[in-house]
Amino acid sequence: MAEIHPSLAQCAVVAAALKILLFPAYKSTDFEVHRNWLAITHSLPLWEWYYDTTSEWTLDYPPFFAYFEWIMSQVAKLADPAMLRVYNVEYDSWQTIYFQRFTVIVTELLLLYALQMFVDSSHGASKRAAQAAAISILLSPGLLIIDHIHFQYNGCMYGLLILSLVLAREKSTLLLSGLVFAALLCMKHIYLYLAPAYFVFLLRAYCLAPKSIFRVQFLNCVKLGSGIAAIAATAFGPFALKGQIPQILSRLFPFSRGLCHAYWAPNVWAMYSFVDRVLIVLAPRIGLSVRSGALQSVTRGLVGDTSFAVLPDVTPRACFALTLLFQAIPLVKLFAQPTPDNFIGAVTLCGYASFLFGWHVHEKAVLLVIVPFSLIALKDRRYLGAFRPLAVAGHVSLFPLLFTPAEFPIKTVYTVFWLVLFLMAFGRLAPASSRARFFLFDRFSTLYITVSIPLIVYCSLVHGIVFGKSYEFLPLMFTSSYSAIGVVGSWVGFMVVYFTS
Amino acid sequence: MAVSSPSPHKSRRKPKRAVNTTSKLNSDSTAQTVTRAPSFPLAAFLWPARGGSVSQWELLPLILMAVGLFRWAAGLWGYSGFEKPPLFGDYEAQRHWMEITTQLPVSQWYFHDLQWWGLDYPPLTAYHSWLCGTIGSLIDPSWFALFSSRGSHDPTLKIFMRATVVISEYLVYIPAVVIFVRRFSRLSGVTAWSASVALVAILMQPATILVDHVHFQYNTVMLGFVVASMSSMLAGRNLWAAVFFVAALGFKQMALYYAFSVFAYLLGSCVFPRINIPRLMAIAAVTAVSFVALVLPIVLGTLQDVRRGIDSRPDIDGPRLPLPLFQGLADYMDTEAVYYPVVEQLVQMVHRIFPFARGLFEDKVANFWCALNVVVKINKYPAELLQRAALLATLASIIPPNLILFFRPRKHLLPFAFASTAWGFFLFSYQVHEKSVLLPLAPMTLLLAGSQGLNKNTRAWVGFANILGCWTMFPLLQRVDLVMPYMVLTLLWAYLLGLPPTSLSAYFQEGSSNWVQWATFFIHGAFYLAMGFWHVLVMFLPPPPDKPDLWVVVNVGVGAAGFSLCYLWCLGRLVAESEIVPRSWFGKKRKAKTQ
Repeated sequence: MAEIHPSLAQCAVVAAALKILLFPAYKSTDFEVHRNWLAITHSLPLWEWYYDTTSEWTLDYPPFFAYFEWIMSQVAKLADPAMLRVYNVEYDSWQTIYFQRFTVIVTELLLLYALQMFVDSSHGASKRAAQAAAISILLSPGLLIIDHIHFQYNGCMYGLLILSLVLAREKSTLLLSGLVFAALLCMKHIYLYLAPAYFVFLLRAYCLAPKSIFRVQFLNCVKLGSGIAAIAATAFGPFALKGQIPQILSRLFPFSRGLCHAYWAPNVWAMYSFVDRVLIVLAPRIGLSVRSGALQSVTRGLVGDTSFAVLPDVTPRACFALTLLFQAIPLVKLFAQPTPDNFIGAVTLCGYASFLFGWHVHEKAVLLVIVPFSLIALKDRRYLGAFRPLAVAGHVSLFPLLFTPAEFPIKTVYTVFWLVLFLMAFGRLAPASSRARFFLFDRFSTLYITVSIPLIVYCSLVHGIVFGKSYEFLPLMFTSSYSAIGVVGSWVGFMVVYFTS
Repeated sequence: MAVSSPSPHKSRRKPKRAVNTTSKLNSDSTAQTVTRAPSFPLAAFLWPARGGSVSQWELLPLILMAVGLFRWAAGLWGYSGFEKPPLFGDYEAQRHWMEITTQLPVSQWYFHDLQWWGLDYPPLTAYHSWLCGTIGSLIDPSWFALFSSRGSHDPTLKIFMRATVVISEYLVYIPAVVIFVRRFSRLSGVTAWSASVALVAILMQPATILVDHVHFQYNTVMLGFVVASMSSMLAGRNLWAAVFFVAALGFKQMALYYAFSVFAYLLGSCVFPRINIPRLMAIAAVTAVSFVALVLPIVLGTLQDVRRGIDSRPDIDGPRLPLPLFQGLADYMDTEAVYYPVVEQLVQMVHRIFPFARGLFEDKVANFWCALNVVVKINKYPAELLQRAALLATLASIIPPNLILFFRPRKHLLPFAFASTAWGFFLFSYQVHEKSVLLPLAPMTLLLAGSQGLNKNTRAWVGFANILGCWTMFPLLQRVDLVMPYMVLTLLWAYLLGLPPTSLSAYFQEGSSNWVQWATFFIHGAFYLAMGFWHVLVMFLPPPPDKPDLWVVVNVGVGAAGFSLCYLWCLGRLVAESEIVPRSWFGKKRKAKTQ
């Protein structure tokens, strides 16, 4: 088949040019977080990494990420050794900025490689669609906003995730897929949210015989088990020898945080909080009691126990139970039919469940849903129908991450550009489904996408002009409630598609 | 698109387009530039939109958003004079004009404290500054407070200033270019798809972005009016062409670079094929009315100020100062008459706009005189002689293209004539600034939208001129730490158009005579090598202590030589395209000129 234009590499070159131009843009505290980790891993011995508290941004990623920082610090000392001193808190010389921003671009090459593999693994008519999906991930406004402006290394890690998902498409590379995912978990533990799908898929497709679930393929079990053990040992072994595992775990899983982040990630709890806020006004009229303690935290995020004024409180245990429940439902089907597409669907649904029902979910986690979903969004029009509100809601919900006026045109224009380009291209590329589409679901999603325009205008312009600095929580609340509707709607839509296809 | 198989469900898309898609896929040969594979990356990016499957109205917003993103992102970098006291730079000049136009009465605009970035642009810039300053004062009055705001580098003010450049460009330059590209490509029989590729290439031109959005100025407004004027000529609306050109002149006097070509074309269109006196009269009248409209606000403001007893020069006591220029005028006039302040105002304006008193050149510019200065120290000659020499050389270089345009006032010749005239001015006139290279580059880059515009020869030359133009601005940009945006934007553009240093694909093409290709390749190759080598030198080797400007001088010399070739190429193409010389003769001549 003829080459498809433009190629991924061409897109990467042009995107890299834009990303370099964005070097002087706003950077969040995450920039200092990663500078501090470079300093910790470079200038402290291994067994002090998880104990150092010089900066408030202590190391709270798993060891592979620390090793990753250590490798980068070997190059960093050529750029500016001063950034590697632990006490140099808030240090940001231009060499530091150039270096750190460059590492994000360079490590993102892993994503490029994985996406190219994804395209190469598709054949025939779907190759063009695969290329479009791959480019949409490569140019994702989520990655641009989070990695290249706000500052993080998601591009590299989503590269590993996609690599693992692509490897899972072939029977012969299933083992490798599992091992890559295990390594990814040892880099950033947020991917634990997707682990149930991996567990079920590898169990069924790799450890049990294809014909019967009662015949265990022992050799495969040994290979997978010992591989994962070796990876875990490489990551945690050095620390285990010193008995530091409890300390690492307390850094990785800080349970003291609240249900919602300061800004509500667009999930079920954001809707729940919104309903609660509305009920504070309505409660006296319909005779419900309002807990006065909760009113104090109305304008801020919901941190602490008595944060809901009218509705019952939510416990971490309830969140956990709901997440597991909604992860389990798609996994049943995956266990019954362990096809690669079902697997990616199940990974997506695991991402959905944990994003929608998880405890203290950050809005950045929406990429956990968008990235795997993008890989199958072009399967047919029904998938695309569920994908579209997610693409709009997920990216709009990232807008509050960047609140400085200089970045406002970048985030909005880039996101609108991406949405117009890819929703248009996807609409032409997605083949029609063999099944009837949902009654009115497409109409709903068109209406939903249209609403985003006045919403963005209100939140970014009108509110500031009308209210100035007061009621600052209003635009945030509207954005997150709006986005929550989109994410929940697309989740429901995709659940139906997943179970009926 | 290939997979849009027959759907069991009714598609909401119009069926007409679906049919169109499939038929076009099988008939790639319809479009001249449509080949089996894109020959440079920019074509690859627009590849999926080929064959009419994507309408202009879907593509255009995407293009405008993408080029806008690059503009805004480039604007995040520093600007000229950032934290460089005492005088700061162009940014401060533009901000200061917003300050004086909003804070002072009209009659003082051209007189106020000339030592601190006194207003020296024509009235339209003053009005534009007033508008921007008025809007900005609504946001934060301290940005444009008289005196206290000087040298302000408030980061929010920077965002506001950047936004004014982008918005002004999107209101003037971009619509003008979009319309020009559409008309010019239709006139030249180029497909809509190729026109879109050319549009992106023109809008991503690194020199304009670097000067306006990074270094800071409003050149695109002036260029936009010029392009609008050319575009009106293409549409046969000569009166509008005159109006737009007066607007360009009224925004920035630099538009005079094109004045001869505008004049030659408009006059030519009144003489050939037959003499058309009414048309000539109409053009003259409209031009005169436009000029009057241009200065009218200044005149009315001055008269009002006189009535209210506001002096144009409150800092000077005692008798009126003589006029700065045309002192003889005062002998014929009553200095106490009502009209005298108006005359004084207009003379002062002309005096500010055209600084005749300055030298042949100020800074190192890649034009003929600076390059000559390396060999012969020309500053030892009297200024008058130099001015006369500059005038003669300029006239000698601009008369040939304008004569051709006058005798052959054809639409498709416009960019060639405009470009060669502007090159002539850039190379030989006096008081040239390195940023003036934008003027010849603009019409030359528009050639990409013309017939054979994206083919290798034109692409190679237009690309060469642009990259060399950016390169000659490197010393200017380096002074304010803008090396990174320079590198990124220039290399990106070279990459998109498949030019050196990223690719050699623009040089070899089947079906064109071989030695021309090789000659072009060797000449351009030598220049590209020199540019690359020069960058290495500047980066790693400080210039010898007794010649601190050595690297800049080398830059000027190479630049002037390259620009001369660009002038010759534009002129040669103009001669060839105008068919003003017999075909047999021009075949030889063209080869001699165009390699």
